[in-house]
Amino acid sequence: MSDIKIKSKNLNVYYGDKQALFDVNLELNEKEVTALIGPSGCGKSTFIRCINRMNDVIDICKVEGNIEIDGIEVNDKELDVVSLRERVGMVFQKPNPFPKSIYDNISYGPKIHGKGETKSELDEIVERSLKKAALWEEVKDRLDEPGTGLSGGQQQRLCIARAISVNPEVILMDEPCSALDPIATAKIEELIDELKKTYTIVIVTHSMAQAVRVSQKTGFFHLGKLIEVGKTEKIFKNPDNKMTQDYITGRFG
Amino acid sequence: MTKEERLKKRHKAEKRFRFYGLASIFFALLFVLILVNNIFSKGSSAFMKTAINVEVFFDPELIEIQNGATSDEILEADFYDIAIETLLKVYPAKTLDEENALIDLFTTDAEIEIKRVFLEDNTLIGKKINLDITASDDIDQLHKGNYPRDLPEDRRRISNFQLKIYDNLVENKKIIKNFNNYFFSNGDSRDPELAGIGGALVGSFYSIIICLLLAFPVAVLASIYLEEFAPKNKITDFIEININNLAAVPSIVYGLLALQILLATIQLPRSTPLVAGITLALMTLPRIIIPCRASLKAVPPSIREGALAIGASKFQSVFHHVVPLALPGTLSGTIIGLAQALGETAPLILIGMVAFVVDIPSTPIDPSSSLPVQVYLWSESAERGFVEKTSATIMMLLSFLIVMNFVAVYLRQKFEKRWN
Amino acid sequence: MNFILIFLITIFSLSLFFYGRSKTKSISIQNNIKLNALPKFYGYYLVLWCSIPALVFLLVWSIFEPVIIKSIIIETAANQGAIFNDKNEANLIYEKIKAIHLGTFFGDIDSILKESAISYAKFINLFTNSKIVLIFGIIIASVIYSLKKIKNNNKARDDVELILKGLLFASSLIAILTTLGIIFSLLFESIKFFSVINIFDYLFGTNWSPQRAFVSDASAITAAEYEELKDAFGFIPLIAGTSFIAFIAMLVAVPIGLFSGIYMAEYASVKVRRLAKPIIEILAGIPTVVYGFFAALTVGPFFRQVGENLGLTVSSESALAAGLIMGIMIIPYISSLSDDVINSVPQSLRDGSYAIGATKSETIKQVVVPAALPGIIGSVLLAVSRAIGETMIVVMAAGLAANLTINPLESTTTITTQIVMILVGDQEFDSPKTQSAFALGLTLFVATLVLNYIAQRAVKKYREKYD
Repeated sequence: MSDIKIKSKNLNVYYGDKQALFDVNLELNEKEVTALIGPSGCGKSTFIRCINRMNDVIDICKVEGNIEIDGIEVNDKELDVVSLRERVGMVFQKPNPFPKSIYDNISYGPKIHGKGETKSELDEIVERSLKKAALWEEVKDRLDEPGTGLSGGQQQRLCIARAISVNPEVILMDEPCSALDPIATAKIEELIDELKKTYTIVIVTHSMAQAVRVSQKTGFFHLGKLIEVGKTEKIFKNPDNKMTQDYITGRFG
Repeated sequence: MTKEERLKKRHKAEKRFRFYGLASIFFALLFVLILVNNIFSKGSSAFMKTAINVEVFFDPELIEIQNGATSDEILEADFYDIAIETLLKVYPAKTLDEENALIDLFTTDAEIEIKRVFLEDNTLIGKKINLDITASDDIDQLHKGNYPRDLPEDRRRISNFQLKIYDNLVENKKIIKNFNNYFFSNGDSRDPELAGIGGALVGSFYSIIICLLLAFPVAVLASIYLEEFAPKNKITDFIEININNLAAVPSIVYGLLALQILLATIQLPRSTPLVAGITLALMTLPRIIIPCRASLKAVPPSIREGALAIGASKFQSVFHHVVPLALPGTLSGTIIGLAQALGETAPLILIGMVAFVVDIPSTPIDPSSSLPVQVYLWSESAERGFVEKTSATIMMLLSFLIVMNFVAVYLRQKFEKRWN
Repeated sequence: MNFILIFLITIFSLSLFFYGRSKTKSISIQNNIKLNALPKFYGYYLVLWCSIPALVFLLVWSIFEPVIIKSIIIETAANQGAIFNDKNEANLIYEKIKAIHLGTFFGDIDSILKESAISYAKFINLFTNSKIVLIFGIIIASVIYSLKKIKNNNKARDDVELILKGLLFASSLIAILTTLGIIFSLLFESIKFFSVINIFDYLFGTNWSPQRAFVSDASAITAAEYEELKDAFGFIPLIAGTSFIAFIAMLVAVPIGLFSGIYMAEYASVKVRRLAKPIIEILAGIPTVVYGFFAALTVGPFFRQVGENLGLTVSSESALAAGLIMGIMIIPYISSLSDDVINSVPQSLRDGSYAIGATKSETIKQVVVPAALPGIIGSVLLAVSRAIGETMIVVMAAGLAANLTINPLESTTTITTQIVMILVGDQEFDSPKTQSAFALGLTLFVATLVLNYIAQRAVKKYREKYD
């Protein structure tokens, strides 16, 4: 059985006066894809942003409770957020490549973290990341071109390659395919299947079909509360909770 | 480098970067404080003037008019002998040189000051009164502590004898500081103790009023046209390009424009607030148009549509409904534009406001100066007394600007509706 | 006289308003005609037609009358035997004639002057009478026309609004008129200048000393005089001085302005921002004459003193002092624009960088600022344009000597300083010296226009990326 990689305990999140997450207790397994589903605005994105402390960027956001990665408390004030984010990468809903060349997009992370000093080391990292993100063949002859010149699907794979370039252990994905067409989506889902061999992946998704396709474990959120979590098959075939059942059968959404 | 070392280095770089940002802001603040302190410390003494208390005897033998004389007669009369007698009584002077030195302790206008007393009460002939006569500029600066007493005598403007008299006067408490009304009531003068910003104040006032009367209606009408009525065609684009360019033209070019067209071609009178006002209006036009347009743009379409739906014409919808809502932002922008106009110097120099103007202008077509030009003129003078006057003028100018900016911000915050 | 005319026109127009309004009301009631607009609009219609043509005519007439009369009188005086060698003398004589007419001339009046004064009085009378007659004619014509339109029950509101719209359009044309005025003023004198001084001698000359430019008769410059003049109007030292001081100013303004802008956009809390932004704006609100005074009285001598203590010769009008103060004045131009531009960079870019584990400063340096670069460059160019056009600071704190130097401790002069110095002294019309000031103004105008154009293009390109 897989080990527990990420564990949240009594996690409460507030945006100013409004509470977004209520007492979330969730365990995520290593080298597995966990999908988080639920209607819009019910806290899924807020949850994963807690894992890599991206909620720090938002002034009015307050986080209470515990999140542990490999036993290390993430919400510890003393924790170096910069190192945390080296271990936990993120891919966003809308692809956000930097206005730099494809090469520079990928080499940015390693350069900052000192993971590649010489040009040859960086070349190697860039190639490796792009290959792992299944983008190498398409761009290997135009690494100097701006990353913003690629198609939507390619941009998203570029962002995945960027996340991979620093060798994280966890990759968080916030609805990565919602801005892409079906073909690009399929490519990325294929990629996720490959990536789970190396990384622990948490994916927020609106599409239940996608959750079924890519994940092994699924958590259902509603209005900031974790309603039910379990093996994907179970959640979709016979969930324990009635609300889960209603959502899955489309009674509300 | 190990991972920890690297992390430490990066965090240090972060702290340094943040520090540079904060330090830059502090530098700006520090400069403002230094500037204000410098100006205020130099200028505050200008609001007082040194005067020497003397006893005036209106000796009927030294003067030709009598009690009950009319103002005209008094103004024509010669009070010179009375003045000299009065001044010489202050201290024993044995030689002619010493007498001249004694007289030099007082302002050159001493006779006029004595005359002024008589103008107020024309029954003083034969009587004695005490009067504070303004001291000369050198004594004024000496008494305010701005004068280097310890220089050797031949490098000073005040002789040892004069210093002796001064010390004597101080001991006998005959020398005092009064409120310097001359600073506000007089025009320019070669004598710093008599120099005032009266002319410059009136000149600036007229200039700004004319600027406002010309620029505001034209700017608002132009903005309304561009925002509400102008079709999207090349002419409109061209007008907008022009406005943006004019906002960025250096002010001295406007001075050249005024010189060539207003002075040389149309031949308006030089150095007058009229010409200054027109020039400033041309400069202020884009500065009002830009905030006015922004305010008009900010009014939501629903207001316009609501009016049109009742059957109002486009004109009525704009003038009765949209413009009033855009007024706070427009007025705010106008006041700020006027504040900038108040501080303009270069174009006014070019149209001749650097002339030496003693009289306070009574109409906008009399030659005059303006506050910033007065600052420029006095800063060229070598006398110490002008340093404090110049600084005090700057204090007045900055005070006006602060008030205007506060009013503008207040208007905007109190009356402007936020539309989201 | 003009005030009386304006007053009369106003009174007449107002009365027409009441007349128009009440007449239309009564006619419509009497004859049971449906009006095409509210009665007051007929009144407005009459007012506009009565006042606008007359007032416009009065304005144009008043603008051109003095010039026309002046040239007529000067010509008549010349015909009667008055002699003047150049425009200055002509002006002097004209002023005397005017003064005689006003009764304020106290010199000797010879027969030429006396005759000219009589002609002057005659022409003034003629012009004033014609003016009044013409204005009456215009008013009568407009009133007849507009009354006729009213009798035909025109759509008064629409007509009034059309006229008003025309007024609005005319107001916005003033911007174009101003630009034309500037171009005309500068070109007119510059062309005269360049007909005397070769443009290449100007653009590439390395010596600027207009005091040497003495011409006895501006309309006929001798070859010997020209030889002297040729070398007196070299532009190079001026552009060098201007650029040098502007460069020093940028050295101060760009780092401080950029860092302030970055701090306010990225680090400052709402409270700090609310305090810091106005303080920096204050720097922009201080009149430049105050900066100049401070620079000339305090900073310049201070640097000279410090230099003395260090054993260096520092001028009290050093380029360093002037450039430093100018730089401080320019800080808000860069910091405000950079603040705005950096704020517009989409948060998604920052999120992408933070998610990789970059610190805030790394994100700013390597992602945000490069993304905002066109906008930042635009703000720097605008600041440079402001610096080279600045006048008071350099007039008061920089020097007058047009030397080519790169030593910031020396004094040097700028384009704007020279314009002021040339035009503030005794002005002789039509001398190359006075005209050179306009040539300098033209150069300055073109330079700032080009810089502003490039800056706006840069900011526009940036906006297109992110809006």
